[in-house]
Amino acid sequence: MKKLLTATCLSALMASAAHAETLTLVEVITSPARTETLESIVARFEEANPGTDVEIISLPWGEAFQKFATMVSAGNIPDVVEMPDSWVSLYANNGMLESLEPYLADWEYTDDLTDRALELGREVDGTAYMLPYGFYLRAMFYNKNLLEAAGISEPPATLAEFTEASAKISELDGKYGYCLRGGAGGLNGWLMYGADMAGSNVFFEEDGTSTANQEGWVEGFQWLIDLYQNGYAPKDSVNWGFNEIVAGFYSGTCAFLDQDPDALIAIAEHMDESDYGVTTMPKGPSGKTFPTIGYAGWSMMSASENKDLAWKLIATLEGPEGNVAWNKRTGALPVQKAAEEDPFYDSPQFAGWFEELNDPDAVPTVMPTYLEEFGFFKDSLSISTSQQALLGEITAQEMADEWADYLTKAQKKHLAK
Amino acid sequence: MTDAVNNRARKPLAKRASAFLEPYLYSAPALFLIAAVILVPLVVGISYAFRDIQLLNPFSGGFIGLDHFQALAGDKAFRRALGNTLWWTGASVFLQFVLGLILALLLDKPFYGRGLVQALVFLPWAVPTFLAGLNWAWLFNPVIGPLPHWFHALGLMAEPENILSDPALAMWGPIAANVWWGIPFFAITMLAALQSIPRDLYEAAAIDGAGPVQRFLSITLPFLAPTMAITILLRTVWIANFADLIVVMTSGGPANRTQIVASYIFTQAFRKLDFGYASAIALVLLVLLLAYALLIILLRQTLLNKG
Repeated sequence: MKKLLTATCLSALMASAAHAETLTLVEVITSPARTETLESIVARFEEANPGTDVEIISLPWGEAFQKFATMVSAGNIPDVVEMPDSWVSLYANNGMLESLEPYLADWEYTDDLTDRALELGREVDGTAYMLPYGFYLRAMFYNKNLLEAAGISEPPATLAEFTEASAKISELDGKYGYCLRGGAGGLNGWLMYGADMAGSNVFFEEDGTSTANQEGWVEGFQWLIDLYQNGYAPKDSVNWGFNEIVAGFYSGTCAFLDQDPDALIAIAEHMDESDYGVTTMPKGPSGKTFPTIGYAGWSMMSASENKDLAWKLIATLEGPEGNVAWNKRTGALPVQKAAEEDPFYDSPQFAGWFEELNDPDAVPTVMPTYLEEFGFFKDSLSISTSQQALLGEITAQEMADEWADYLTKAQKKHLAK
Repeated sequence: MTDAVNNRARKPLAKRASAFLEPYLYSAPALFLIAAVILVPLVVGISYAFRDIQLLNPFSGGFIGLDHFQALAGDKAFRRALGNTLWWTGASVFLQFVLGLILALLLDKPFYGRGLVQALVFLPWAVPTFLAGLNWAWLFNPVIGPLPHWFHALGLMAEPENILSDPALAMWGPIAANVWWGIPFFAITMLAALQSIPRDLYEAAAIDGAGPVQRFLSITLPFLAPTMAITILLRTVWIANFADLIVVMTSGGPANRTQIVASYIFTQAFRKLDFGYASAIALVLLVLLLAYALLIILLRQTLLNKG
């Protein structure tokens, strides 16, 4: 009843405001600096389209998922939304996102997008329900001073060397090898090291059975558990999220950090450029490594009443000018080929990522974000079970079995569609 | 008397009906609003507990009877959360109450600058919980915060470690933040009750030779008892339902050691988007809290009757 009331009020409001050509845009990975950049790009759009007015709603990332879900189910639906990879399937499979294919077909810049951008945008049903604006690829930050103090000349290239280096650094007083992320957002690490040991990033068999509890993967999980239990990561890190691992790294508490380019922003503020480097993630026994690649982009809601204008806004955000300006702020790797010419990406820090991108043995890995159940798995189930494993309450095998059980059900449900 | 009764019986029916209805009609708007704002959502929420409600899934919504409750009975995470809720609520309320009462007794004595001290003491109450949680989380972090190093220096810890990552101690982090944040509430209410006690009682007791402890036990405590009962009841219900600090500081970790029923409901509703199951858990919590409230009210009645 209350839903009905708000929906009618809202539609009445929308009807009366339709003359002023108002678009609503929701950003979900919010920071003050990002909002400022977004406002400046949107201001350019408003100038180019006189008589339009874009209302920006900024949701803090920590509560964005539930806030946006509540907004949408209450009928308060925006025209354009910033879409993280892990939400696409949920909204696309419930018919709430507009396919961008017809618009991409006549867009002048479609050919200038990197192949990966289109490939990832079409992750659900081979249809572009979102257009990525940038990639978050994991690479290894290392603290040059700590490595030197522990007598290590080169950053580790393999998991075995990584363990060895972490052990040496942990002998220093109050220092540790790895900035382990045991809390929110820690799933990437588990899946990367699992895949490294398994030598494959295939998450499911043909029939939908999860590979998570197969031997190689469990070895990878065990490798990370051992690293923690041997004291090569801070004891506290069982609870660490993004802010804690980044603070742990720039305060010199731990020497290795796997992170995306956006962590550069915080780290560059606190550390001298000469004190740290970025290199390819360490490789497993098969000689390959599987850094996770995440992405976020812009989507149009199918309930939008002004789709052509909404696409114009997305095109402004995704065009060469808007995309480079936006990614300089977000720290993600841009989707426009033209961006690679930009001097901003010429810095030594970015060299680490481009090197990794060009390394045939570093296989960018997309987590199975197309599963509707993935959000809960990533944000809740995997965290509590992996913390139990780190604390020695359950074994790596028990954790892997629980994961495989949940993921198999989700994948089979997905295949049955 | 009999005349009056006969008179009333002879009034026409319409008049009697309107006389009977009159007070109800006056209060109808208010009753209607209360029903619309409280009862309807309550009934709808309770009905969710017996239905399969998945937010964003248009095909869900069917009645499934007691399935959620069956699942709940075998849910280990829920049982742990229930135990954690008792610990979290008990420790928080007890410490807030004791420290709040001591603070109120101290502030009850006039001294120079009391107004300023009172204002400062009540400051935590004005801090948004989200901010309080973040601040305390960083205070406990050995990389940034001072607390672990102080504990270490005092010999309480072998190493300056973060208690939030120690499964055995993690709950004390949010409890500490909650106590700091909640003391002023008890202090304010107790202080108000203390100041309403007639001062001449104390003077008379002192003349009769009662010491400070005796005065506290036979004058202060009986006067405060009703306020204590009500505030403790209210705070217990609030704190049992209050997951903000826990969500901000530990999000239920490590390994579910700080997951309370309220944060578990949040996880089920907004991480799994399973409103049906979340409502079933909420219903169980509601029943438990109602039982608790009845118990306190009974206790208070018996105490009052005894007095």
